[in-house]
Amino acid sequence: MYGDLGNKLVQHAKRTQNLTHLPPYQTELVRTVTHEVRDLDKYVKSILEPYQDGSFDPNADQATACTLMVNHLAMRRNKRCLLAYHRTRTDKLEELVWSGTDIVDLAGQQQQRSAPGAANVSGMNGDGASSSLSPQEEDYMRQYSDLLAAYKGQWTDIDLTGSLEPPRDLFIDVRVLKDAGEIQTEYGAINLTKNSQFYVRQGDVERLIAQGYLQKLS
Amino acid sequence: MSYYDIDEILTEAEKIPCTFQLDVPDLGYLDNNPSAPLKAGTDVSLPLWLAELLALPAQGTDDGRAFATIELPSPLSQEVFQALKADPRAVPLRDQSAHFYSLATRMLDLFDEKELTAVLRKTFAVRAGEIALHARKGVTGAGGGTAEDKASNLGVGGAGEEFLRGLDEWERRLFRKAHDGCKAGKEWMDGVKKH
Repeated sequence: MYGDLGNKLVQHAKRTQNLTHLPPYQTELVRTVTHEVRDLDKYVKSILEPYQDGSFDPNADQATACTLMVNHLAMRRNKRCLLAYHRTRTDKLEELVWSGTDIVDLAGQQQQRSAPGAANVSGMNGDGASSSLSPQEEDYMRQYSDLLAAYKGQWTDIDLTGSLEPPRDLFIDVRVLKDAGEIQTEYGAINLTKNSQFYVRQGDVERLIAQGYLQKLS
Repeated sequence: MSYYDIDEILTEAEKIPCTFQLDVPDLGYLDNNPSAPLKAGTDVSLPLWLAELLALPAQGTDDGRAFATIELPSPLSQEVFQALKADPRAVPLRDQSAHFYSLATRMLDLFDEKELTAVLRKTFAVRAGEIALHARKGVTGAGGGTAEDKASNLGVGGAGEEFLRGLDEWERRLFRKAHDGCKAGKEWMDGVKKH
């Protein structure tokens, strides 16, 4: 029946709400639902063909009026399902951007999950086929990141995406999990090479911890 | 109650028994029979998003007749109603509908059933107390409590398990909130003692 596929999409969205990661985009399902809407639209147009001048009288032909109404409602329903599905995902994406997840990391994670060991072969270039985001979503996330960066740029002395937990100590021990290159701090430059350990100011490396380059040692 | 509310949309997918009031040649597929016309008087189960508006009296017509009439769906049937009256805690609402209350709210917009409304209100109040009890047990049970209470990290063990499985979507949210609230409160208290 019309609307059943849209329902499936919303069930996906429901599941997404309770997950920490973002499940793969349902390209196929979205396409089928959109097709259903197009088909319905064609059908409605064909029914109304004889009434070009808007002379259709619902009272005179109630059966046709009923068919039109059912079709219209099915289209409206599908639209709502599609919008709600995408809205759930963009909400999730915005959340990810605020928590500092990089779009490249997201694609990388996906690769690791689908093919363990092959991750380093395909590199970090966010290959579209293996990402759980649709190309549009990737674009959305990129632009939203830019927007957030521009917004944050207004306050240089406050990190809006920083941790809300007050730090216990100003300086912490960290271990480097991934090469992160050289960073500049108040106390000079540190070269973060894999497996090395540093005693640094927490504020300087918070971002890198969130991004998974460094691990905090307690 | 937002356009994008996932639970709201899922509620609208619940099936409602309808009876068509007129012959419609092109809608046979609603009765799983696309080749035959849909006859007046046919009983079909339609999702709420469709049934609700078909049941509205057509505007502008002389007799104000609707395309279809609707009845209360099975989750709100007399049997369930009687069972809830007897003991609200003994009925697994989830087996009736995962969106029981939200479906009931929508249906009661269309039907004027004072008694049903009262029973549902009482049902929620009684069950909410029980939910809060279980939510608390999950938190405090971590320290003392029986082995059964500790069976899972939510404290969903033993007799309570069956009750909690029967919660509808709204009640589940309530349980989670109550549980998180208790947990956060306990954590805060522990922090106070330490410093």
